[in-house]
Amino acid sequence: MKAKALSRRRFRAADGSVGGTVFDIFNYAFITLFCISILFPMWDMIVQSLSRAEDISYMSLNLWPKHVTLDGYKYVFSDKLLFIAFRNSILRTAIGSAYHLVVCCLAAYTMTRHEMPFLKVFTGIFLITMFFSGGMIPAYLNIKNLGLLENFLVYVLPGGFSMYNTIIIRNYFFSIDRSLEESATIDGANSLQIMVKIILPLSLPVLATVGLWQMVAQWNSWFDNMVYCRSDNLITLQYMLKRITNNIASLTDSSSQYAMMMEQSMVFTPQSIIACTTVITVVPIICVYPFLQKYFVKGIMLGAVKG
Amino acid sequence: MTQLSVKPRKEPLLVRMKRFSAFYLFLLIPLAQVIIFNYMPMYGIQIAFKDYKMRRGINGSSWAGLEHFQKMFSDTTFYQVLGNTLRLSLESTLIIFPATVIFALMMNELRAGKFKRVTQTITYLPHFLSWVVVGGFVTQVLSPTNGVLNFLLVKLGILDQPVYFMIEPSAFDAIYILSSMWKELGWGVIIYLATISGIDPTLYEAASIDGAGRFKKVRHITFPSILPTVTTMLILQMGTIMSVGFDPIFNLYTPGTYSTADVISTYVYRRGLLDTKYDYTTAIGLFQNVVSLTLVLLSNWIARKATPDYRIF
Repeated sequence: MKAKALSRRRFRAADGSVGGTVFDIFNYAFITLFCISILFPMWDMIVQSLSRAEDISYMSLNLWPKHVTLDGYKYVFSDKLLFIAFRNSILRTAIGSAYHLVVCCLAAYTMTRHEMPFLKVFTGIFLITMFFSGGMIPAYLNIKNLGLLENFLVYVLPGGFSMYNTIIIRNYFFSIDRSLEESATIDGANSLQIMVKIILPLSLPVLATVGLWQMVAQWNSWFDNMVYCRSDNLITLQYMLKRITNNIASLTDSSSQYAMMMEQSMVFTPQSIIACTTVITVVPIICVYPFLQKYFVKGIMLGAVKG
Repeated sequence: MTQLSVKPRKEPLLVRMKRFSAFYLFLLIPLAQVIIFNYMPMYGIQIAFKDYKMRRGINGSSWAGLEHFQKMFSDTTFYQVLGNTLRLSLESTLIIFPATVIFALMMNELRAGKFKRVTQTITYLPHFLSWVVVGGFVTQVLSPTNGVLNFLLVKLGILDQPVYFMIEPSAFDAIYILSSMWKELGWGVIIYLATISGIDPTLYEAASIDGAGRFKKVRHITFPSILPTVTTMLILQMGTIMSVGFDPIFNLYTPGTYSTADVISTYVYRRGLLDTKYDYTTAIGLFQNVVSLTLVLLSNWIARKATPDYRIF
């Protein structure tokens, strides 16, 4: 790594000065504090999800559960709705991202044909969508008129195309040597075969980047669930969490701010239910996080340098 | 390669089109996508100028002229949400934007090694969480019953009794800015760190030989090198001044903080989708979209003038 060697060298050259040392102490301390501030709320959630109700008391701070219990999780998992939500979240993530990739690749591959008549017109039609949209209400009425309310397809179809991702994929396609295509054409392959058998296998890095992008977006989305799908059958994990949080917020708003304390006489505090659901929602993201970090950083560069 | 692309120009249009017939077929799906889910809603914008009745549909409803826009400009709540939108996005530009640049320079001064890798891993992480989850974290940290902030403030004697920050209108700006930074600061530095890693190392070596210390190098090499990126990002940020994201506001505000937290998008959601004032809120949305579009095009144009290497496409 050039960058690594570079910064090591730079540091050694700067060693020894008093100002530099003072700065270093401050710098390391600040960044450590920032990291703690990021990790603490997550840790706190985990602790609460594993705590007994009576151990989460008013104005106390537990850095470790006093008695580790899985009762909260048992309670949450006893709700059938959680499994429905999990299933829907996984389905929309898988189907939605796959469909998105197919649509964007088709557009991106076509956009590599500079000599194709009317390509500029089509590109223009796609480009306008980057800058202007109908807005929230016309989009809702459109979905309603299409009969997509209370329909799983509303999680997949509206986000099927993104010009931004298409441009990123197209730029990658441009970097592939055209002579490969020419020799395949001579061997009698058609355009679809060339795309599937030659171009796509060579574009795995960009496909992984955009695919993961879309997977995270799908997993994290909840607005379409809130607006378009009210039935429990179509609930997703994110919106389920939102609903639980909302119910408890309205509870504390309507009564006094200490309503939460009274709630604690129950076996399970709403707090621990929120905590368990949050942990369940976040765990899949943490599991794919190593891949995300690798490809997302690359993806940002694809967008910034070439895009 | 070039021969192939030059030759077809001699052929008639239809012959050329026929050769690309497969590609026209490829375009069918993406085209259907944007027509159905992008252009049909744009067609629906006309209800901003209509007296929209659900049973009559978009085409059947009668025209209302500029009635909704007149109503908008005499709606005191509209001015409030417009003011909140501008204030919150201005605050993020003034605070979060410089903080990201400074944080990038600070991260760059860390020695390469385990600490740097671990801190990068930790600071990127919140970017991948949804605002629903982040909103839950914020509510928990600020909770008046067992949140860590109230616990510390009371224990240190700064507060006599816990404060319910989430329903405190004057606390919303700080909550919004700090939680946005919590979520995106680590991620925001990537683009600057990448620019820094592209700086020619010999510049630093030459500066060392000339006796420049560490701060001089940051001041005279690192900072000027990222300045074009900073300028571009700042100009692009100016284009988004009319829009504050729906997600962070919706997951951080409570009815108690509407006076400072309600922005255009959340107002459109409540008035439009919950109170079913479709035509009026479409007018508000159109107003926001047109102003945003103007600002985005303007800022893109300026970015292209200001930084010659900058291209979006």
